[in-house]
Amino acid sequence: MAGKIYSKPIAFSVVATLVVLAGTIATMAYPMLRQEMHPKVEGLKPLTALELAGRDIYQREGCVNCHTQTVRPLQSEVVRYKGNRAAEPQGRYSLAGEFAYDHPFLWGSKRTGPDLAFEGWLKPSRDWQASHLENPQALVPRSNMPSYAFLKTARLDAAEVAAHLRALRRLGVPYPDDAGVLALAREVEGKTEMDALVAYVLSLGKAVDRGGKGELEIDLASANPHGHDPAFVARGRQVFDAQGCGACHGDEGHGQEGVAPSLVDDVFLGVKGDMPDAAYFAVIKGGSDVKKQLGRPGVPDGGMQAYGGELSDDDIWAVVAWLRNQQGHEAAEHPHEEGAEHR
Amino acid sequence: MNDYRYDHRTVEGFILSSIFWGVVGILVGLLISVQLWAPAANFPPYLTFGRLRAVHTNGLAFGLGVGAIFGLSFWIVMRLCKRPLLFPKLARAQLWLFNVGILAAAVTLAMGYTQSLEYAELEWPLDIAIVVLWVMFAVNVFGTILKRNEEQMYVSLWYVIATVIAVAVLYLVNNLSMPAGLWKSYPAFAGVNSANVQWWYGHNAVGFVFTTPILAMFYYFLPKSTGLPIWSHRLSIVAFWSLVFAYLWTGAHHLVYTPLPDWIQTLAIVFTLFLIAPSWGSVVNGYYTVGQDWGRMRSNYLTKFFILGITFYGLQTVQGPTQALRVVSQLIHYTDWVPGHVHMGTMGWVTMVTAASIYYVIPKIYGTTIYSEKIANIHFWLVLVGQLLFSITMWITGIRQGWMWKATDADGKLVYRNFIDTVTGNYPYWHTRTLAGIIFTVGMLFFVFNVLMTIRKGRALERERQAATQTPAAVTAA
Repeated sequence: MAGKIYSKPIAFSVVATLVVLAGTIATMAYPMLRQEMHPKVEGLKPLTALELAGRDIYQREGCVNCHTQTVRPLQSEVVRYKGNRAAEPQGRYSLAGEFAYDHPFLWGSKRTGPDLAFEGWLKPSRDWQASHLENPQALVPRSNMPSYAFLKTARLDAAEVAAHLRALRRLGVPYPDDAGVLALAREVEGKTEMDALVAYVLSLGKAVDRGGKGELEIDLASANPHGHDPAFVARGRQVFDAQGCGACHGDEGHGQEGVAPSLVDDVFLGVKGDMPDAAYFAVIKGGSDVKKQLGRPGVPDGGMQAYGGELSDDDIWAVVAWLRNQQGHEAAEHPHEEGAEHR
Repeated sequence: MNDYRYDHRTVEGFILSSIFWGVVGILVGLLISVQLWAPAANFPPYLTFGRLRAVHTNGLAFGLGVGAIFGLSFWIVMRLCKRPLLFPKLARAQLWLFNVGILAAAVTLAMGYTQSLEYAELEWPLDIAIVVLWVMFAVNVFGTILKRNEEQMYVSLWYVIATVIAVAVLYLVNNLSMPAGLWKSYPAFAGVNSANVQWWYGHNAVGFVFTTPILAMFYYFLPKSTGLPIWSHRLSIVAFWSLVFAYLWTGAHHLVYTPLPDWIQTLAIVFTLFLIAPSWGSVVNGYYTVGQDWGRMRSNYLTKFFILGITFYGLQTVQGPTQALRVVSQLIHYTDWVPGHVHMGTMGWVTMVTAASIYYVIPKIYGTTIYSEKIANIHFWLVLVGQLLFSITMWITGIRQGWMWKATDADGKLVYRNFIDTVTGNYPYWHTRTLAGIIFTVGMLFFVFNVLMTIRKGRALERERQAATQTPAAVTAA
């Protein structure tokens, strides 16, 4: 009897459709009705107009083909992407609620380059990101990433961005009415595609606090507890290398043009003239935010991460000791340079 | 003699189009394989890896794959229904629309118009064109089957019907989007839900583009070219229904360890393991079919294509479920292991069986034989070696890199802290992959040459036959 179906194409097609729909309903349609598929973390805000323009470029250039955007709940992965700086334990890896406004999700399936889910915390420097996109090999010598220098000359179109914001509003992303959207989109006027892409990348992972500032009270009078003991200086060198500080500040702390300032010259936080060890300690521990407290402008970019969450105070002091040591070498090698004497 | 004409020209048109887009897709694949180890081989903005990867995957999945599926399904449907297509002109129009569509797909993807959903990259105007194409295909398939001259529907027709139905459901749901301009849209679903819908689609695109239509070919062309009947009809029934049932539950195995709810991941993993059974149902059926006379491996040049093809299908469908296991996924997911896995399926299974089916059909159209069995054998060995070298190289480097990502010392600190240190170790393997790609490409060029020369031979024969029938007519008239 059942064999008859193979000579009845309509009945066969109906049964085949039902069979195909069983798994479709159970694993695709039914979950859609459940709240767990539509979570939202508290800190999540819709992308700004500039960030959205950047996301459109991220999609257009197929960044998703080489960069994933999910930090998995695996210990090695949490460590690699510094999820352990998270203020709350569940923020250590990617959370479903961070992606509520992502039409579509951009988690990717291949990690040829590093994951970017926490990039906004990992490399918060606008300058670093822009320089890297322009010429990746200048900062990561053996990288296989292509150059995206052409983004620097392409201008954004506010009307187009407004149309994109409207489409997303229709899908339920909380953007304002048409007049409000036009006002938002005005932000992109005069900006380049590079500005937009960098803004988007720096927004990644920011809905959850993964800053790792730790407790920070600045006391400029406090002194380096281990002084300039050579073993301590050597430990500082190790920490500097292990944390990849050289990726921005150069392997010997000389800085990189357009990326991050030198740590061994006579300028500190954008102003000529030194500050005590405790100021160095505070900036490493608390990142760019500390600059204001120290009363100095710093470089306008503000790209210094906070290391308070993962380095012990001793490790940070060790780095300061090593930097002082480097400054000493620098002064000895270039004694004629102005301002070098005071070291 | 048949008193009706099969529409051979449309079938041939699809086969030739499929071969053309296949060559384009493979050459793009070679270029992007070079771009992975030589960033200077990127030519921004249009010819970068980020944009061309989609040209490669779409060109081969939709150009080579679906083109061949259209042509060979029409062939299978006409033969098994013992009648021409119900709407031959519609099929011809479908052929033209198909080629215009694939061309537009390649151009728009290189221009960066993409939905960023894997295997559903094309923007909404092209999605509409694809839906139209699929409806044209479905009308001819169902129409011809309904008006068939053979009571029973053979296994291959079941697989064709399942393909038509499932792809329609998958494509329509996953491409729901809100247009934001002529070439820009935002998919309707967001976040985890978007991920779940996409991989329900993505995995079943593999199931109903790279599996069911290829099985339709396998079940039809293997007995046809070897002259051996399928070993077990009962096994093919069990394998068919359990395959089309289980496939749809498995998509979330692409999302293991992501923020997708755990129960959906686990359900997908369980069904993925079950999927070994129906897959191996067809593998066993294939082996036992040729097992009736293993001598055909020597005496019939096409048999080895089918047997190697189904062997890679068998390996693929064990490797896939293994990868779905959490403990394996955490090591190899996101690494080069995955392209290694995919290419065993596409280069080993899909291309092997499709090429053999084309070798069977083209001479049949002209009532002749293949231009050169020797060239077909060279083609076979080159694509086999190219594919093995490709996949094995990628598996090794995938494990290597996955392990480097995970390696921590006694204090829990990463051994390879700089991501780039885990990348540079890929370079020698990526060089080897390009070499494997070149070997595979040369093999495919032998195939293309063989097909074109067979057509040339067939057309010359056709002209001779026409001349022979016209001469006596002229005599009578005089």
